[in-house]
Amino acid sequence: MHLLLRIEQSGICQWIRSTDSIFGYYGILTVHAIGMGIAVGINACVNLRILGFAPALPLAPMEKFLSLLWLGFWMNAVSGTILLATDATHKLVNPDFYVKMLFIALALANLQLLKAHVFRDPQIDTKPLSTKARVLAVTSLACWLGAIIAGRLLAYQAAM
Amino acid sequence: MNVVHLHLLLNHIPTVGFGIGVALFVGALVAKSRDVKRAALSILFLTGAVTILAYVTGSDAKAAVASTPDGSTAQIDAHETAALVAFAFMQATAFFTWLGLWAWRRLGDLAGWNRATILILAVVTFGLMARAANLGGELRHPEIRGVLDSVASAADGVPGERLTAARSWGKYVEEHSWVWPTCEILHFVGLCLLFGAALVVDLRILGVAKQLPLAAVYQLLPLGLLGFTLNLVTGMAFFVATPQQYTGFLFLLKMGLVALAAINVLYFMLADGAWTVAEGDHMPIGARLAAVSAILIWVGVLFCGRMLPALGNSF
Repeated sequence: MHLLLRIEQSGICQWIRSTDSIFGYYGILTVHAIGMGIAVGINACVNLRILGFAPALPLAPMEKFLSLLWLGFWMNAVSGTILLATDATHKLVNPDFYVKMLFIALALANLQLLKAHVFRDPQIDTKPLSTKARVLAVTSLACWLGAIIAGRLLAYQAAM
Repeated sequence: MNVVHLHLLLNHIPTVGFGIGVALFVGALVAKSRDVKRAALSILFLTGAVTILAYVTGSDAKAAVASTPDGSTAQIDAHETAALVAFAFMQATAFFTWLGLWAWRRLGDLAGWNRATILILAVVTFGLMARAANLGGELRHPEIRGVLDSVASAADGVPGERLTAARSWGKYVEEHSWVWPTCEILHFVGLCLLFGAALVVDLRILGVAKQLPLAAVYQLLPLGLLGFTLNLVTGMAFFVATPQQYTGFLFLLKMGLVALAAINVLYFMLADGAWTVAEGDHMPIGARLAAVSAILIWVGVLFCGRMLPALGNSF
Protein backbone atom coordinates (compact mmCIF):
# COMPACT_ATOMS: atom_id res chain seq x y z
CA MET A 1 0.00 0.00 0.00
CA HIS A 2 2.91 2.29 0.79
CA LEU A 3 4.24 1.93 -2.78
CA LEU A 4 0.81 2.61 -4.30
CA LEU A 5 0.45 5.74 -2.22
CA ARG A 6 3.88 6.92 -3.35
CA ILE A 7 2.94 6.39 -7.01
CA GLU A 8 -0.37 8.16 -6.51
CA GLN A 9 1.26 11.08 -4.67
CA SER A 10 4.13 11.47 -7.17
CA GLY A 11 4.51 14.91 -8.74
CA ILE A 12 3.34 13.82 -12.18
CA CYS A 13 0.20 12.11 -10.84
CA GLN A 14 -0.66 15.12 -8.70
CA TRP A 15 -0.23 17.36 -11.73
CA ILE A 16 -2.48 15.12 -13.88
CA ARG A 17 -5.22 15.23 -11.26
CA SER A 18 -5.09 18.96 -10.61
CA THR A 19 -4.20 20.63 -13.92
CA ASP A 20 -6.74 22.35 -16.15
CA SER A 21 -4.63 21.53 -19.22
CA ILE A 22 -6.17 19.22 -21.80
CA PHE A 23 -3.23 16.87 -21.14
CA GLY A 24 -4.59 16.35 -17.63
CA TYR A 25 -7.00 13.75 -16.24
CA TYR A 26 -9.96 14.33 -18.56
CA GLY A 27 -7.72 14.67 -21.62
CA ILE A 28 -6.30 11.22 -20.86
CA LEU A 29 -9.85 9.93 -20.28
CA THR A 30 -10.73 11.27 -23.75
CA VAL A 31 -7.83 9.35 -25.30
CA HIS A 32 -9.08 6.28 -23.41
CA ALA A 33 -12.60 6.73 -24.86
CA ILE A 34 -11.28 7.19 -28.43
CA GLY A 35 -9.03 4.13 -28.06
CA MET A 36 -12.06 2.16 -26.88
CA GLY A 37 -14.09 3.39 -29.85
CA ILE A 38 -11.36 2.22 -32.23
CA ALA A 39 -10.67 -1.18 -30.63
CA VAL A 40 -14.21 -2.21 -29.66
CA GLY A 41 -15.80 -0.53 -32.68
CA ILE A 42 -13.68 -2.39 -35.22
CA ASN A 43 -14.13 -5.58 -33.26
CA ALA A 44 -17.89 -5.08 -33.36
CA CYS A 45 -17.82 -4.54 -37.15
CA VAL A 46 -15.87 -7.79 -37.70
CA ASN A 47 -17.94 -9.79 -35.19
CA LEU A 48 -21.30 -8.58 -36.52
CA ARG A 49 -20.15 -9.30 -40.09
CA ILE A 50 -19.37 -12.89 -39.04
CA LEU A 51 -22.86 -13.10 -37.51
CA GLY A 52 -24.46 -12.12 -40.82
CA PHE A 53 -24.65 -8.31 -40.80
CA ALA A 54 -23.62 -6.64 -44.12
CA PRO A 55 -23.31 -10.02 -45.87
CA ALA A 56 -21.86 -8.55 -49.10
CA LEU A 57 -18.77 -7.35 -47.22
CA PRO A 58 -15.82 -9.72 -47.80
CA LEU A 59 -14.09 -10.63 -44.53
CA ALA A 60 -10.52 -11.19 -45.75
CA PRO A 61 -9.72 -7.49 -46.45
CA MET A 62 -11.17 -6.58 -43.04
CA GLU A 63 -7.97 -8.01 -41.55
CA LYS A 64 -6.27 -4.70 -42.50
CA PHE A 65 -8.39 -3.03 -39.84
CA LEU A 66 -7.13 -5.41 -37.15
CA SER A 67 -3.83 -3.49 -36.99
CA LEU A 68 -5.85 -0.34 -36.34
CA LEU A 69 -7.64 -2.25 -33.59
CA TRP A 70 -4.23 -2.81 -31.98
CA LEU A 71 -3.51 0.92 -32.23
CA GLY A 72 -6.68 1.52 -30.20
CA PHE A 73 -5.60 -1.17 -27.75
CA TRP A 74 -2.17 0.39 -27.17
CA MET A 75 -3.67 3.88 -26.83
CA ASN A 76 -5.74 2.43 -24.03
CA ALA A 77 -2.97 0.38 -22.44
CA VAL A 78 -0.89 3.57 -22.09
CA SER A 79 -3.71 5.95 -21.11
CA GLY A 80 -5.19 3.29 -18.80
CA THR A 81 -1.87 2.80 -17.00
CA ILE A 82 -1.61 6.56 -16.37
CA LEU A 83 -5.22 6.71 -15.12
CA LEU A 84 -4.49 3.74 -12.86
CA ALA A 85 -1.38 5.43 -11.41
CA THR A 86 -3.35 8.55 -10.48
CA ASP A 87 -5.77 6.51 -8.36
CA ALA A 88 -3.69 3.41 -7.57
CA THR A 89 -4.70 3.05 -3.91
CA HIS A 90 -8.39 2.74 -4.85
CA LYS A 91 -8.31 0.98 -8.22
CA LEU A 92 -5.81 -1.75 -7.33
CA VAL A 93 -7.80 -2.89 -4.31
CA ASN A 94 -11.09 -2.83 -6.23
CA PRO A 95 -12.11 -6.31 -7.48
CA ASP A 96 -13.99 -4.65 -10.33
CA PHE A 97 -10.66 -3.49 -11.78
CA TYR A 98 -9.46 -7.11 -12.02
CA VAL A 99 -12.78 -8.15 -13.59
CA LYS A 100 -12.17 -5.55 -16.28
CA MET A 101 -8.59 -6.77 -16.87
CA LEU A 102 -9.85 -10.37 -17.07
CA PHE A 103 -12.45 -9.43 -19.71
CA ILE A 104 -9.81 -7.62 -21.76
CA ALA A 105 -7.40 -10.57 -21.52
CA LEU A 106 -10.19 -12.93 -22.62
CA ALA A 107 -11.16 -10.58 -25.46
CA LEU A 108 -7.56 -10.49 -26.74
CA ALA A 109 -7.24 -14.28 -26.52
CA ASN A 110 -10.55 -14.51 -28.37
CA LEU A 111 -9.18 -12.21 -31.08
CA GLN A 112 -6.18 -14.51 -31.58
CA LEU A 113 -8.48 -17.54 -31.91
CA LEU A 114 -10.64 -15.65 -34.39
CA LYS A 115 -7.57 -14.71 -36.42
CA ALA A 116 -6.32 -18.31 -36.48
CA HIS A 117 -9.70 -19.84 -37.18
CA VAL A 118 -11.33 -17.30 -39.53
CA PHE A 119 -8.71 -15.06 -41.10
CA ARG A 120 -6.13 -17.84 -41.70
CA ASP A 121 -8.72 -19.81 -43.65
CA PRO A 122 -8.02 -19.38 -47.40
CA GLN A 123 -11.71 -20.12 -48.17
CA ILE A 124 -12.94 -17.49 -45.74
CA ASP A 125 -15.13 -15.69 -48.29
CA THR A 126 -16.11 -18.61 -50.52
CA LYS A 127 -17.71 -21.06 -48.11
CA PRO A 128 -20.21 -20.40 -45.29
CA LEU A 129 -18.71 -19.49 -41.91
CA SER A 130 -18.45 -22.31 -39.38
CA THR A 131 -20.40 -22.50 -36.15
CA LYS A 132 -17.08 -22.09 -34.33
CA ALA A 133 -16.52 -18.74 -36.07
CA ARG A 134 -20.00 -17.58 -35.01
CA VAL A 135 -19.45 -18.70 -31.42
CA LEU A 136 -16.13 -16.83 -31.33
CA ALA A 137 -17.87 -13.70 -32.66
CA VAL A 138 -20.50 -13.89 -29.91
CA THR A 139 -17.92 -14.49 -27.14
CA SER A 140 -15.82 -11.61 -28.48
CA LEU A 141 -18.78 -9.21 -28.30
CA ALA A 142 -19.60 -10.52 -24.81
CA CYS A 143 -16.02 -9.99 -23.55
CA TRP A 144 -15.83 -6.40 -24.81
CA LEU A 145 -19.29 -5.66 -23.40
CA GLY A 146 -18.09 -7.08 -20.07
CA ALA A 147 -14.99 -4.87 -20.20
CA ILE A 148 -17.13 -1.76 -20.92
CA ILE A 149 -19.54 -2.56 -18.07
CA ALA A 150 -16.71 -3.21 -15.59
CA GLY A 151 -14.89 -0.07 -16.80
CA ARG A 152 -17.93 2.17 -16.48
CA LEU A 153 -18.73 0.85 -13.01
CA LEU A 154 -15.13 1.54 -11.96
CA ALA A 155 -15.87 5.24 -12.40
CA TYR A 156 -18.70 5.10 -9.87
CA GLN A 157 -16.69 3.20 -7.29
CA ALA A 158 -13.62 5.47 -7.44
CA ALA A 159 -15.10 7.95 -5.01
CA MET A 160 -15.94 5.32 -2.41
CA MET B 1 -25.68 36.47 -28.40
CA ASN B 2 -26.35 33.91 -25.70
CA VAL B 3 -27.98 30.50 -25.58
CA VAL B 4 -31.44 32.04 -25.20
CA HIS B 5 -31.01 33.85 -28.52
CA LEU B 6 -29.94 30.56 -30.04
CA HIS B 7 -33.11 28.90 -28.77
CA LEU B 8 -35.29 31.70 -30.17
CA LEU B 9 -33.50 31.44 -33.50
CA LEU B 10 -33.46 27.64 -33.79
CA ASN B 11 -36.98 26.99 -32.51
CA HIS B 12 -38.44 28.17 -35.83
CA ILE B 13 -36.74 25.39 -37.75
CA PRO B 14 -38.68 22.42 -36.27
CA THR B 15 -41.95 24.04 -37.37
CA VAL B 16 -41.10 26.06 -40.49
CA GLY B 17 -38.40 23.72 -41.85
CA PHE B 18 -40.40 20.62 -41.02
CA GLY B 19 -43.56 22.16 -42.49
CA ILE B 20 -41.75 22.75 -45.78
CA GLY B 21 -40.47 19.16 -45.66
CA VAL B 22 -43.94 17.70 -45.03
CA ALA B 23 -45.52 19.85 -47.76
CA LEU B 24 -42.83 18.81 -50.26
CA PHE B 25 -43.21 15.16 -49.26
CA VAL B 26 -46.98 15.17 -49.74
CA GLY B 27 -46.56 17.13 -52.97
CA ALA B 28 -44.01 14.61 -54.24
CA LEU B 29 -46.36 11.69 -53.44
CA VAL B 30 -49.18 13.39 -55.32
CA ALA B 31 -47.03 14.42 -58.28
CA LYS B 32 -45.12 11.11 -58.17
CA SER B 33 -41.78 12.91 -58.35
CA ARG B 34 -38.87 10.84 -57.05
CA ASP B 35 -36.45 13.79 -56.99
CA VAL B 36 -38.77 15.96 -54.92
CA LYS B 37 -39.44 13.01 -52.61
CA ARG B 38 -35.72 12.56 -52.00
CA ALA B 39 -35.31 16.29 -51.36
CA ALA B 40 -38.24 16.21 -48.91
CA LEU B 41 -36.66 13.27 -47.04
CA SER B 42 -33.41 15.23 -46.79
CA ILE B 43 -35.19 18.27 -45.34
CA LEU B 44 -37.11 16.14 -42.83
CA PHE B 45 -33.88 14.40 -41.76
CA LEU B 46 -31.88 17.62 -41.34
CA THR B 47 -34.76 19.26 -39.46
CA GLY B 48 -34.60 16.33 -37.03
CA ALA B 49 -30.88 16.98 -36.46
CA VAL B 50 -31.31 20.73 -35.86
CA THR B 51 -34.25 19.99 -33.51
CA ILE B 52 -31.76 18.37 -31.11
CA LEU B 53 -30.04 21.76 -30.77
CA ALA B 54 -33.37 23.56 -30.52
CA TYR B 55 -34.48 21.26 -27.70
CA VAL B 56 -31.32 21.37 -25.60
CA THR B 57 -31.04 25.17 -25.77
CA GLY B 58 -34.53 25.30 -24.23
CA SER B 59 -33.15 24.60 -20.77
CA ASP B 60 -31.28 27.94 -20.62
CA ALA B 61 -34.25 29.78 -22.14
CA LYS B 62 -36.48 28.27 -19.45
CA ALA B 63 -34.20 29.58 -16.71
CA ALA B 64 -34.14 33.02 -18.35
CA VAL B 65 -37.94 33.28 -18.72
CA ALA B 66 -38.60 31.89 -15.25
CA SER B 67 -36.47 34.68 -13.76
CA THR B 68 -38.55 37.45 -15.38
CA PRO B 69 -41.40 38.98 -13.32
CA ASP B 70 -44.21 37.59 -15.51
CA GLY B 71 -42.58 34.21 -16.10
CA SER B 72 -45.07 31.49 -15.20
CA THR B 73 -43.57 28.14 -14.28
CA ALA B 74 -46.76 26.28 -15.13
CA GLN B 75 -46.80 27.83 -18.59
CA ILE B 76 -43.14 27.07 -19.27
CA ASP B 77 -43.71 23.50 -18.06
CA ALA B 78 -46.61 23.13 -20.50
CA HIS B 79 -44.35 24.26 -23.36
CA GLU B 80 -41.51 21.96 -22.23
CA THR B 81 -43.72 18.87 -22.04
CA ALA B 82 -45.29 19.57 -25.44
CA ALA B 83 -41.80 20.10 -26.88
CA LEU B 84 -40.51 16.82 -25.41
CA VAL B 85 -43.34 14.79 -26.95
CA ALA B 86 -42.94 16.56 -30.31
CA PHE B 87 -39.16 16.00 -30.12
CA ALA B 88 -39.60 12.24 -29.64
CA PHE B 89 -41.90 12.01 -32.69
CA MET B 90 -39.56 14.21 -34.71
CA GLN B 91 -36.61 11.90 -33.98
CA ALA B 92 -38.69 8.82 -34.86
CA THR B 93 -39.53 10.51 -38.19
CA ALA B 94 -35.84 11.34 -38.77
CA PHE B 95 -34.92 7.69 -38.05
CA PHE B 96 -37.23 6.40 -40.79
CA THR B 97 -36.20 9.11 -43.26
CA TRP B 98 -32.58 8.03 -42.67
CA LEU B 99 -33.51 4.43 -43.50
CA GLY B 100 -35.33 5.63 -46.61
CA LEU B 101 -32.43 7.76 -47.80
CA TRP B 102 -29.98 4.93 -47.12
CA ALA B 103 -32.01 2.29 -48.97
CA TRP B 104 -32.58 4.70 -51.90
CA ARG B 105 -29.19 3.74 -53.38
CA ARG B 106 -30.41 0.14 -53.78
CA LEU B 107 -34.12 0.67 -54.43
CA GLY B 108 -34.04 3.94 -56.39
CA ASP B 109 -37.20 4.93 -54.50
CA LEU B 110 -38.86 4.76 -51.12
CA ALA B 111 -40.26 1.37 -50.01
CA GLY B 112 -44.04 1.34 -49.52
CA TRP B 113 -43.96 0.53 -45.79
CA ASN B 114 -41.39 3.25 -45.20
CA ARG B 115 -43.39 5.83 -47.18
CA ALA B 116 -46.47 5.12 -45.06
CA THR B 117 -44.49 5.21 -41.79
CA ILE B 118 -42.83 8.52 -42.65
CA LEU B 119 -46.09 10.09 -43.83
CA ILE B 120 -47.98 9.18 -40.63
CA LEU B 121 -45.12 10.12 -38.29
CA ALA B 122 -44.43 13.39 -40.14
CA VAL B 123 -48.05 14.57 -40.03
CA VAL B 124 -48.38 13.68 -36.33
CA THR B 125 -45.01 15.33 -35.58
CA PHE B 126 -46.04 18.50 -37.41
CA GLY B 127 -49.21 18.77 -35.34
CA LEU B 128 -47.35 18.14 -32.07
CA MET B 129 -44.57 20.55 -33.02
CA ALA B 130 -47.04 23.28 -33.98
CA ARG B 131 -48.67 22.89 -30.56
CA ALA B 132 -45.29 23.07 -28.77
CA ALA B 133 -44.34 26.13 -30.83
CA ASN B 134 -47.68 27.80 -30.10
CA LEU B 135 -47.28 27.23 -26.34
CA GLY B 136 -43.73 28.55 -26.59
CA GLY B 137 -44.79 31.62 -28.55
CA GLU B 138 -47.56 32.42 -26.09
CA LEU B 139 -44.95 32.57 -23.31
CA ARG B 140 -43.68 35.89 -24.63
CA HIS B 141 -46.74 37.02 -26.58
CA PRO B 142 -49.61 37.57 -24.12
CA GLU B 143 -51.68 39.08 -26.95
CA ILE B 144 -52.17 35.60 -28.48
CA ARG B 145 -52.45 33.71 -25.22
CA GLY B 146 -55.36 31.29 -25.12
CA VAL B 147 -54.34 27.66 -25.17
CA LEU B 148 -51.53 28.28 -22.70
CA ASP B 149 -53.79 29.80 -20.07
CA SER B 150 -56.18 26.88 -20.16
CA VAL B 151 -53.37 24.31 -20.04
CA ALA B 152 -51.59 26.16 -17.23
CA SER B 153 -54.72 26.74 -15.16
CA ALA B 154 -55.71 23.09 -15.57
CA ALA B 155 -52.26 22.17 -14.23
CA ASP B 156 -52.59 24.71 -11.40
CA GLY B 157 -55.88 23.16 -10.36
CA VAL B 158 -54.29 19.78 -9.63
CA PRO B 159 -53.84 19.37 -5.88
CA GLY B 160 -50.46 18.37 -4.44
CA GLU B 161 -47.12 18.43 -6.18
CA ARG B 162 -47.45 18.43 -9.97
CA LEU B 163 -44.58 17.01 -11.94
CA THR B 164 -43.93 17.41 -15.63
CA ALA B 165 -43.00 14.31 -17.64
CA ALA B 166 -39.37 15.49 -17.61
CA ARG B 167 -39.35 16.09 -13.84
CA SER B 168 -40.90 12.69 -13.09
CA TRP B 169 -38.15 11.07 -15.14
CA GLY B 170 -35.54 13.16 -13.29
CA LYS B 171 -37.02 12.04 -9.99
CA TYR B 172 -37.06 8.41 -11.12
CA VAL B 173 -33.35 8.60 -12.04
CA GLU B 174 -32.57 10.24 -8.70
CA GLU B 175 -34.37 7.53 -6.74
CA HIS B 176 -33.05 4.55 -8.72
CA SER B 177 -29.27 4.50 -8.64
CA TRP B 178 -28.96 1.81 -11.34
CA VAL B 179 -30.54 3.95 -14.09
CA TRP B 180 -27.71 6.43 -14.66
CA PRO B 181 -24.83 3.86 -14.84
CA THR B 182 -26.95 1.62 -17.11
CA CYS B 183 -27.58 4.49 -19.52
CA GLU B 184 -23.85 5.36 -19.39
CA ILE B 185 -22.91 1.78 -20.29
CA LEU B 186 -25.35 1.80 -23.23
CA HIS B 187 -24.03 5.24 -24.26
CA PHE B 188 -20.50 3.78 -24.45
CA VAL B 189 -21.71 0.72 -26.37
CA GLY B 190 -23.47 3.03 -28.85
CA LEU B 191 -20.29 5.10 -29.11
CA CYS B 192 -18.30 2.01 -30.09
CA LEU B 193 -20.82 0.89 -32.74
CA LEU B 194 -21.05 4.38 -34.25
CA PHE B 195 -17.34 5.15 -34.14
CA GLY B 196 -16.31 1.69 -35.40
CA ALA B 197 -18.67 1.81 -38.39
CA ALA B 198 -17.60 5.40 -39.19
CA LEU B 199 -13.90 4.46 -39.03
CA VAL B 200 -14.23 1.47 -41.37
CA VAL B 201 -16.38 3.38 -43.91
CA ASP B 202 -14.34 6.59 -43.87
CA LEU B 203 -10.92 4.90 -43.88
CA ARG B 204 -12.00 2.71 -46.81
CA ILE B 205 -12.95 5.87 -48.71
CA LEU B 206 -9.53 7.28 -47.83
CA GLY B 207 -7.83 4.23 -49.35
CA VAL B 208 -7.42 1.67 -46.54
CA ALA B 209 -8.27 -1.97 -47.45
CA LYS B 210 -8.98 -1.23 -51.12
CA GLN B 211 -10.07 -4.82 -51.71
CA LEU B 212 -13.30 -4.03 -49.85
CA PRO B 213 -15.98 -3.20 -52.46
CA LEU B 214 -17.44 0.26 -51.78
CA ALA B 215 -21.01 -0.91 -52.32
CA ALA B 216 -20.50 -3.51 -49.57
CA VAL B 217 -18.94 -0.95 -47.20
CA TYR B 218 -22.12 1.15 -47.65
CA GLN B 219 -23.97 -1.70 -45.87
CA LEU B 220 -22.11 -0.83 -42.66
CA LEU B 221 -23.81 2.59 -42.34
CA PRO B 222 -26.92 1.20 -40.51
CA LEU B 223 -24.55 -0.02 -37.77
CA GLY B 224 -23.67 3.64 -37.27
CA LEU B 225 -27.37 4.53 -37.18
CA LEU B 226 -27.94 1.84 -34.55
CA GLY B 227 -25.13 3.28 -32.40
CA PHE B 228 -26.40 6.82 -32.90
CA THR B 229 -29.99 5.89 -31.98
CA LEU B 230 -28.77 4.18 -28.81
CA ASN B 231 -26.82 7.32 -27.91
CA LEU B 232 -29.61 9.73 -28.77
CA VAL B 233 -32.01 7.83 -26.50
CA THR B 234 -29.54 7.45 -23.60
CA GLY B 235 -28.19 10.98 -24.13
CA MET B 236 -31.72 12.39 -23.90
CA ALA B 237 -32.28 10.26 -20.79
CA PHE B 238 -29.34 12.15 -19.21
CA PHE B 239 -30.44 15.55 -20.48
CA VAL B 240 -34.11 15.26 -19.54
CA ALA B 241 -33.21 13.99 -16.05
CA THR B 242 -30.70 16.75 -15.25
CA PRO B 243 -30.92 19.57 -17.84
CA GLN B 244 -29.17 21.99 -15.47
CA GLN B 245 -25.93 20.04 -15.98
CA TYR B 246 -25.85 20.54 -19.74
CA THR B 247 -25.57 24.24 -20.31
CA GLY B 248 -21.95 25.10 -21.12
CA PHE B 249 -20.29 25.94 -24.42
CA LEU B 250 -18.76 22.47 -24.67
CA PHE B 251 -22.15 20.75 -24.59
CA LEU B 252 -23.54 23.08 -27.25
CA LEU B 253 -20.44 22.42 -29.34
CA LYS B 254 -21.07 18.67 -28.98
CA MET B 255 -24.68 19.07 -30.16
CA GLY B 256 -23.54 21.38 -32.98
CA LEU B 257 -21.06 18.74 -34.12
CA VAL B 258 -23.83 16.12 -34.07
CA ALA B 259 -25.89 18.37 -36.39
CA LEU B 260 -22.82 18.70 -38.67
CA ALA B 261 -22.47 14.91 -38.65
CA ALA B 262 -26.05 14.70 -39.96
CA ILE B 263 -25.09 16.90 -42.94
CA ASN B 264 -22.02 14.72 -43.43
CA VAL B 265 -23.90 11.42 -43.51
CA LEU B 266 -26.55 12.98 -45.76
CA TYR B 267 -23.78 13.80 -48.27
CA PHE B 268 -22.70 10.16 -48.28
CA MET B 269 -26.26 8.98 -48.87
CA LEU B 270 -27.12 11.51 -51.59
CA ALA B 271 -23.84 11.88 -53.52
CA ASP B 272 -22.80 9.00 -55.75
CA GLY B 273 -19.11 10.05 -55.84
CA ALA B 274 -17.76 7.75 -53.15
CA TRP B 275 -19.72 4.66 -54.16
CA THR B 276 -19.28 4.51 -57.93
CA VAL B 277 -15.48 4.76 -58.19
CA ALA B 278 -14.18 2.08 -60.56
CA GLU B 279 -11.26 -0.08 -59.40
CA GLY B 280 -8.00 1.78 -59.94
CA ASP B 281 -9.72 5.17 -60.30
CA HIS B 282 -9.13 8.02 -57.88
CA MET B 283 -11.63 8.73 -55.12
CA PRO B 284 -13.17 12.18 -55.78
CA ILE B 285 -11.81 14.95 -53.57
CA GLY B 286 -15.30 15.74 -52.19
CA ALA B 287 -15.69 12.21 -50.86
CA ARG B 288 -12.21 12.31 -49.32
CA LEU B 289 -12.95 15.62 -47.60
CA ALA B 290 -16.28 14.27 -46.32
CA ALA B 291 -14.52 11.16 -44.95
CA VAL B 292 -11.84 13.19 -43.18
CA SER B 293 -14.42 15.59 -41.73
CA ALA B 294 -16.58 12.67 -40.53
CA ILE B 295 -13.67 11.26 -38.52
CA LEU B 296 -12.81 14.72 -37.14
CA ILE B 297 -16.46 15.42 -36.24
CA TRP B 298 -16.86 12.18 -34.30
CA VAL B 299 -13.51 12.57 -32.53
CA GLY B 300 -14.74 16.10 -31.65
CA VAL B 301 -18.03 14.72 -30.30
CA LEU B 302 -16.12 12.20 -28.17
CA PHE B 303 -13.75 14.90 -26.95
CA CYS B 304 -16.58 17.28 -25.98
CA GLY B 305 -18.53 14.49 -24.31
CA ARG B 306 -15.62 13.20 -22.29
CA MET B 307 -14.45 16.70 -21.30
CA LEU B 308 -17.93 17.73 -20.09
CA PRO B 309 -17.17 16.98 -16.43
CA ALA B 310 -13.87 18.89 -16.63
CA LEU B 311 -14.84 22.03 -18.53
CA GLY B 312 -18.58 22.04 -17.96
CA ASN B 313 -20.50 21.32 -14.78
CA SER B 314 -21.89 17.85 -15.47
CA PHE B 315 -20.83 14.45 -14.25
